Amino acid sequence: MKKISGLKCRECGRKYQAKAIYVCEFCFGPLEVDYNYEQIKAHISQEKIKTGPNSEWRYWDLLPVETKSVISLGEGFTPLLPARNLGKLLGLEKLYIKNDAVNPTYSFKDRVVSVAITRAVELGFDTIACASTGNLACSVAAYGAYAGIKAFVFIPIDLEKGKIIGTGIYQPNLIGVEGNYDQVNRLCSEIADSFPWAFVNINIRPYYAEGSKTLGFEVAEQLGWKAPDHVVIPLASGCLMTKIYKGLKEFNMLGLIGKVRTKFSGAQPEGCSPIVTAYKENSEIVKPIKPNTIAKSLAIGNPADGYYAWKTMKETGGFAETVNDEEIIEGIKLLAETEGIFTETAGGVTVGVLKKLAQTGRIKKDELTVAFITGNGLKTQEAVSEAVSRPKKIAPTLKAFTEEFPWIKR
Amino acid sequence: MPKRQLDLIFPEEMIKEPVIWEMSKKFDVIFNIRRARVTETTGELVIELDGEDGTLDKAVEWLRKKGIKVKPVTHDVLE
Ligand SMILES: Cc1ncc(COP(=O)(O)O)c(C=O)c1O
Ligand SMILES: [Zn+2]
Repeated sequence: MKKISGLKCRECGRKYQAKAIYVCEFCFGPLEVDYNYEQIKAHISQEKIKTGPNSEWRYWDLLPVETKSVISLGEGFTPLLPARNLGKLLGLEKLYIKNDAVNPTYSFKDRVVSVAITRAVELGFDTIACASTGNLACSVAAYGAYAGIKAFVFIPIDLEKGKIIGTGIYQPNLIGVEGNYDQVNRLCSEIADSFPWAFVNINIRPYYAEGSKTLGFEVAEQLGWKAPDHVVIPLASGCLMTKIYKGLKEFNMLGLIGKVRTKFSGAQPEGCSPIVTAYKENSEIVKPIKPNTIAKSLAIGNPADGYYAWKTMKETGGFAETVNDEEIIEGIKLLAETEGIFTETAGGVTVGVLKKLAQTGRIKKDELTVAFITGNGLKTQEAVSEAVSRPKKIAPTLKAFTEEFPWIKR
Repeated sequence: MPKRQLDLIFPEEMIKEPVIWEMSKKFDVIFNIRRARVTETTGELVIELDGEDGTLDKAVEWLRKKGIKVKPVTHDVLE
């Protein structure tokens, strides 16, 4: 028996074959991968996982591919670091940073793309594609190159330089669409209907999304096989949060960890916060908005999994908060200065919101808290270029140096 | 005839109006409601519209003018 039992509609529960489809024909709800958990339970164990590869594929049993020859650049199994300095500053005794900025293309997207491309090739596709605001673009281009299949990457033409070069270096078919992200997406859904390609965030979406579960698996394993008390997660489409929650619940269902009492708190930039707004208005309908924020990777005004992220936060007793552009930059700086981690704007949002939640007592000081840092600062240097230390220019002499730093004692 | 799957989000003041009925009177389109969710302040309706392309465009434009947010059901905004 295969481990994937099929696809299942998240709204009406109808079952489908595990093909490259993503919308329920009956209620148009999104489809999700369903597994033969009984079979998985029979042979999964902490011991088996521990002897697996040092990548997200140590959780192969819970990822939606049947092949053992996975397409991997070593994504995942990133550090979970005790954040003592930042914790002290915020009054949190057990704060951890999950540093996913150190993946092969420097964001958590490598987790989802590795799963998506492995599944796409398994389903017989020879072309991988995506619509992206940057991080996904870099990842799809890199994995496409490594897998030796064609890659088509669609981006808004005015993306940040770091993300364009970070994608272009892999020589994909890179298409800069004259329009905003929404228009790129519209175009891509038409293209997805017209060409037999594996669009990772369209027709391969149910498989792709499962890759984010591994962030939940890893944190639980790294904490000594238990779920944290509180997590803070950046939200764009809401997929990441939804899947981290699913991952923890699966681990519990399979007996790998105890009860999951984790509070899920979500972070969005003020200039694009449809999910946080729905949370604050106590409305389960997430209203689309037009984004305007420096956190471009989170600039999704029309989040596909917004409702499910909303539900996760409500169900677990978590919170939702926003930060403005200045607070995002402060957040980036704060993490760098206290923990030595340079994150992109999305991480600035997470740290900014973490700070707000700690200062208002919504995160308790003794809660074991994990903040998810999902992208790397080198890709969004524009955001902080004005706010960093500049080199002090001196002549190449000891005298010049001591003159510049007269307060240093010998 | 082409079919279009749409996700409609209604502002509070429109929830009580028979918007879909009105649309089908005004334009030659067939609607089929697949899913709906209504709260105190908003309504969401997932429907399929069946009609000529030009007519569908006009119907969608008319809905938008009424203040309803219309987005295609593609779930393509995942990134
Ligand atoms: C760095 C980073 N963090 C977080 C997210 C949010 O992920 P999701 O769309 O799954 O909510 C994104 C999405 O692009 C991202 O690039
Ligand atoms: Zn359904």
